[in-house]
Amino acid sequence: MSSFWLTIAIVAFCMGALGYYAFVVLPNQFHRWRCQSLRAFARAVELRTQGRFGSADLLAPLVNEVALRLGLPLQERRRLELAVYLRDIGMVGIPYAVLNKPTSLTPIERLTLDRHAELSAAIAEQIPGLWQVAPLVRQHHVVYAEQPEAPLAAHLLSALDNLLVHIQQGYTPEQWCEEAGARYHPQVVATVRAVCRERPLAESLPLHRSAALWL
Amino acid sequence: MRKRRFWYWIGLTSLPAGAILLAASDSLARVPAIETLFWLMLVALVAELFLVRYPLRHGYTDLGIWMSVSTPIVIATIVLYGWEAGVWMDAVITLVAGLANTLFRSTYPRWAFLNTVQSILSAFCAGMAVAGVDWLIAYESAWRYVLATGAALGAYHLVNSILISTNIALFEGVQWGWAIRQNLSAFPQEAMVMLLFSLIVGPLVKTFGVSGLVMALAPYLTLRQAFMLWTRQHDLYHQTIRSLGFLVQKAHPYTGGHLQRVAQWARKVAQHLGLPPERCELVYEAALLHDLGKTVLDERILNKPGRLTPSEWKQIKRHPQLGAEILSGTPFLVPVVPWIAYHHERPDGKGYPYGLKGDQIPLEARIIAVVDAFDAMIGGETPSQQRTYRKALSISEALHELRRGAGTQFDPTVVSVFEAVVGEWQREQQRLQGGVKR
Repeated sequence: MSSFWLTIAIVAFCMGALGYYAFVVLPNQFHRWRCQSLRAFARAVELRTQGRFGSADLLAPLVNEVALRLGLPLQERRRLELAVYLRDIGMVGIPYAVLNKPTSLTPIERLTLDRHAELSAAIAEQIPGLWQVAPLVRQHHVVYAEQPEAPLAAHLLSALDNLLVHIQQGYTPEQWCEEAGARYHPQVVATVRAVCRERPLAESLPLHRSAALWL
Repeated sequence: MRKRRFWYWIGLTSLPAGAILLAASDSLARVPAIETLFWLMLVALVAELFLVRYPLRHGYTDLGIWMSVSTPIVIATIVLYGWEAGVWMDAVITLVAGLANTLFRSTYPRWAFLNTVQSILSAFCAGMAVAGVDWLIAYESAWRYVLATGAALGAYHLVNSILISTNIALFEGVQWGWAIRQNLSAFPQEAMVMLLFSLIVGPLVKTFGVSGLVMALAPYLTLRQAFMLWTRQHDLYHQTIRSLGFLVQKAHPYTGGHLQRVAQWARKVAQHLGLPPERCELVYEAALLHDLGKTVLDERILNKPGRLTPSEWKQIKRHPQLGAEILSGTPFLVPVVPWIAYHHERPDGKGYPYGLKGDQIPLEARIIAVVDAFDAMIGGETPSQQRTYRKALSISEALHELRRGAGTQFDPTVVSVFEAVVGEWQREQQRLQGGVKR
């Protein structure tokens, strides 16, 4: 190989390696750091609400898998993962008594609790670099029948959040698809059904690992 | 004192730097392709002007260095045109960019001068490393170029790190060993990226001349992007700690000023106990987050004005464990987890939640325990910072209480060091307020 072509080969290799490092490895690493830091906030909120501990850690891989199957681009999947950790952060502003009321909530308490999505979005808007996640967080309880025009990512987050709550109450994913699933985006529900058919979801989720903390 | 130290240091380093510069100017005129060299210098100058801030893991002090992405261009120049061209190029761009920074970033001109001296010495050592490789591999080949670039970059970074660390140690009052460890810790990652860029610039310039520089624009921007992302990662670390601190304040407004004060006292005590600087910073961060577990508790219990019932007290006692649980999922905060979990343990084993004894409790947790108790006893300056269930004590009363509990409730060594720290602080306050006691 002539010196000229060897030079070109070295330059091309270095450019490729540099580009891969700066635009693939580092952004990935940065995203992981961001998720890990938001995990601390999510844990604080989850520990405050009985029976919710670990829900973000369970939801994040599930959301990612369904989003991947729905063909959502990488940027959108990253936004979704951040939204999973941020979605309930507004619960810090909701009174403990309302969050952990053993009986059903009064209409005023229900309204107070429903404010958490808005509060979470408001907090996300204040964090540098996370304002893009705020709309997703705001809509993380969106119902397809009421707002079909909401982005698919928001429908996905809302459906899977609800799925997790149902699984924690003893439902199977199939039952959720048949009953509650009707309220959510059909494409999302169909994908969840396909994922669950391939591997038993409920068995892979360590749902009761938080119990020891509340004894 | 610092100013005098500064001029001694400048004198010591500028003598060899001046001699190197003079020796280089002799052969500078003989450098071929002087026009290409000029353009290279211009590009390096632009890179030097657009600095990226690279914090040294401190979020609460101004420590940190401004990094430029001009080094790979200087290295490529040294390898292509010899150390003389590289030394002059680095000297000119560092001085011009440094003087520009005195205007735009309000830095002192003397720093521009010191940086220039350091650049000359670093570039000269890089040149010597290239000469060493030339001596080993006499014939022209692509591999000689790769090896020479690697050696030059390594030598440049090593000398530059030693000089910068000496600066920080002399003028910021931190330990030299710590500063150099901080400087070199990012080296493998940083060196790999810089080496790749140097390997791109050199052949492009050699093969295509000035137009090769235009082709190097894309990798230059890539390199900058890499630096920016590293910086953002560091910032994110500090942002997380600050935001978690705000979360605690939100849950329990009393803790607002309390956390800040405890964190500052704890850092001072750690410094007086001779812990390494990075450990002192971790103690600061742990103290800032030590009550994080309270965010989980019922605010009616936290803000209860009267005495707590046994079941309420049982809830409160869970907060160190809960705080540790919150942070244990975040790998970069894991070092502070045990200190937060054990900050209510006592040397006599009567603490909570685990009932650990003496040396079973980490020193950092013992520090937080002492300063936390002290600040809780003296309370804040405003009524909202006073505890609802207890009257605030004076500083001397609080210190007396600490002494009374030394050996049983508190670590006696930490208590005596803390007394010295408080004494120092009081003297400083008296000096500032013209002898008026708080």
